[in-house]
Amino acid sequence: MRSSDFYTERVSYRSSALLRRLLFAAPLVTIASVLLASPALAATGLSPLLPNAVSPNGHNLFVLYNWISIPALAVFLLVQALLLTIIIRDRRKRRGPDYRPPQTHGNTRLEIAWTIAPAVLLGVIGYFSINVLANDFLVQGDVIAPNRGPTDLAITVEGYQFGWRITYPEGFKVVTSGFNAVDNPMVVPTGALVRMRLQSSDVIHSFWVPEIAGKTDAVPGYDNFAWFKIPQPGEFRGQCTELCGAGHGTMQIRVKAVPPDEYNAWVAEQVAKSKATPTPSASPTPSAAPSPSASPSGSASPRPSPSPSGSAQPSPSPSTR
Amino acid sequence: MATTLAPPRPKAYDDSFFKPISLWLTTTDHKLIGIMYMTTGFLSFLIGGIFALIVRMQLAQPNLSVVTPETYNQLISAHGVTMIFFFVTIFMTGIANYFVPIMVGARDMAFPRLNLLGFWMIPVSILIYYAGFFTPEGALNAGWTGYTPLTTQPFNKGLGVDFWALSLIIWAISGIMASTNFLTTIVALRAPGMRLTRLPLFVWAQISTSILLLIVGAPLAAAMILLEFDRQFGTNFFTTQGRPVLYQHLFWFFGHPEVYIMILPGFGMISEIIPVFSKKPIFGYTTMVAALFGIVFLSMAVWAHHMFTVGLNIWVESFFMIMTMAIAVPTGIKFFNWIATAWKGSIEFTLPMKFAFGFMATFVIGGITGIYLSSVPVDTQLHQSYYVVAHLHYVLFGGSVMTIFAGIYYWFPKITGRKLSETLGEWHFWTVFIGFNATFLVMHTLGLEGMPRRIATYPGGFGEEGWGATNAFITVASFFVAFSVLIFLINLVRSWRSGEVAGDDPWEGNTLEWATSSPPPPYNFDRVPPVRSFMPLRDLRAERQAREAASALSSRPEGEG
Repeated sequence: MRSSDFYTERVSYRSSALLRRLLFAAPLVTIASVLLASPALAATGLSPLLPNAVSPNGHNLFVLYNWISIPALAVFLLVQALLLTIIIRDRRKRRGPDYRPPQTHGNTRLEIAWTIAPAVLLGVIGYFSINVLANDFLVQGDVIAPNRGPTDLAITVEGYQFGWRITYPEGFKVVTSGFNAVDNPMVVPTGALVRMRLQSSDVIHSFWVPEIAGKTDAVPGYDNFAWFKIPQPGEFRGQCTELCGAGHGTMQIRVKAVPPDEYNAWVAEQVAKSKATPTPSASPTPSAAPSPSASPSGSASPRPSPSPSGSAQPSPSPSTR
Repeated sequence: MATTLAPPRPKAYDDSFFKPISLWLTTTDHKLIGIMYMTTGFLSFLIGGIFALIVRMQLAQPNLSVVTPETYNQLISAHGVTMIFFFVTIFMTGIANYFVPIMVGARDMAFPRLNLLGFWMIPVSILIYYAGFFTPEGALNAGWTGYTPLTTQPFNKGLGVDFWALSLIIWAISGIMASTNFLTTIVALRAPGMRLTRLPLFVWAQISTSILLLIVGAPLAAAMILLEFDRQFGTNFFTTQGRPVLYQHLFWFFGHPEVYIMILPGFGMISEIIPVFSKKPIFGYTTMVAALFGIVFLSMAVWAHHMFTVGLNIWVESFFMIMTMAIAVPTGIKFFNWIATAWKGSIEFTLPMKFAFGFMATFVIGGITGIYLSSVPVDTQLHQSYYVVAHLHYVLFGGSVMTIFAGIYYWFPKITGRKLSETLGEWHFWTVFIGFNATFLVMHTLGLEGMPRRIATYPGGFGEEGWGATNAFITVASFFVAFSVLIFLINLVRSWRSGEVAGDDPWEGNTLEWATSSPPPPYNFDRVPPVRSFMPLRDLRAERQAREAASALSSRPEGEG
């Protein structure tokens, strides 16, 4: 009787040579496909990788992304290979109408294996991610990533609808509005460790220049911090990344890295200009807090704290623009 | 075989769909309510799709102005709200409303009138939201997440935001009603023999979904009520004087489990479909159930991964990162169990099975990109970019919508008594599979190149040269998806009117809904079949085969001798 052993038949999954071969082949196929696909992708201009950002922290993200890609691609190829095997090998048309599939209800060893293996893999990814976090994202007081060295340039960047007010330690401001950021870049010296204090005067904005580093939100009520260091001269594009209203798409950012002497000349020019005309944008904001040390002490803890923090903001109460 | 279970009976009930409107409006039959849920959901899908197409037209080339930026923001918000709240969740509720009582062998839901009330709150909720478009300032324009302070009074004076908040409060209350009803039905109304360990996995998925919605529906309503207080009564919960980020915590405490509310019923459907068409029992029933509950518990401790750039403490971020990564483990278990179920099976690639495999092939991409996004440092690059848009569509379209299609092809014969056309179904599957991947796969690269989401347009020029070509391709592909939905609509209408008659059990199913007639009578079963395992119908078939074989054996000597 066929139906008598229908429920009792067992199959050993370990004996499946094909499965074993697939497991071993997955990493090899991964490497081969990366090598083969990358020139093809480069030719189309579509990259599956993060931009290799110029700042050390941005570069670390690029490296981390690439490392995550190896297990990710392996898992992807393994799953697709298993699905394809089933689609090709196990369809009823090929198996024939008389084929009785093994009535397996489970396999404890296998199930434990595919619980533990992903957990270990993810643990490794988590470990490396936490390492990067502790090195590049830790904020102590008003200083982000303290072990990266002393601040060479402290800039306050304030988002508003729809532009940025960039305050330099010398007291002058670069104010952008929508697309005119293209002609008003945030100029920084090459090789300097730049620390930014991010603020917002109205709604949440987010400062993102992908080819320098990751993004940080500018939230009304408290300050956020970000840093970067650009080794070579260049101009980098970015824009606001948090929906902030009708002009969100226009809220551009340009960062221009120039050699230190050129930067100093630019600063002198800006200082002279700001003395000649009282704040070019006629901004109501007093030029406070040019550097972290001079900021009001109320915002010593920049991270969200249980106390209401609206009062600790260096800029005056938000105004609708 | 089902003919032996359900002998021909006089037509004691009206099994046509052209019932008087008064009956549709007042019925407490869970099946009719389920159909209404599904219809509402599907209409929302079409409307949300039209929003998406307008958005894609606007983004087809740099510097277009098909719609104004203000309208654009309303459209993306409406697309998100419609698809998430009014389509996927509602459609899943509809399928569950139809099949959970039948699958557990009940006559109706535990609280039929609560079911009726819960359903009718949904059209009210939807109409209130869309009413926002007729206010002077237009509907919600801050994205479906409605982040404060952009949605607070100084920056958003229009009534659209208030309508959205009110709509979601009603939606949440309706969801809580439905969840209570599902849980009570499953706990209290199971047929004799239907122990918890014999529940179909779709029902287990519905249990976990209901628990989730029961827990997180209230915080959503709370967030909306507090937002309304801010907007109308001058409080400062989320304003610039308050804590804008608190809103994000409340919203995502609902918002992330909502992702699982939208996908867990889909997981349940896949767990039903794969065994039936592989002719194998589900691999690892217990671990499948355990994985569901693992997802339920973990999904409530991952919400802050939507907030990795707002400036949380890095150790808090690390906690949420690890929890987010951990949730990939139960999802992985389910995935490998499905593969093991189909492994060495005798697989019939009917349309439900095609969609189930299409789901697995695409959803895995969404899962893997989720791992990239869970890593806090990497997320600071990818957050709020088109990479996230691609990821969420791989999870929601490649996940939930593919399972919904699989479910429709699987259960359409039960609901209407007719099968969907194979030919049109094949066309639908391949157009949607190719169109979907073409639309969303290249979106990853847009995000990696630095295109933020929710921008109304983008300039050609410095750094953006590549965006124009990619976006044009995506727009063309998105119309391909729309074309596939058109094919599906034609199939739906044609097969409903004149499709192949399916019979009671066209797929040789495992669960109780295939024991009754198609469509089932208002009382669901004349006689509930005995339940002795989690595949009662298969047991019946095996018994019948054994009986037939035995009678053949015993009759042969008589005839010959």
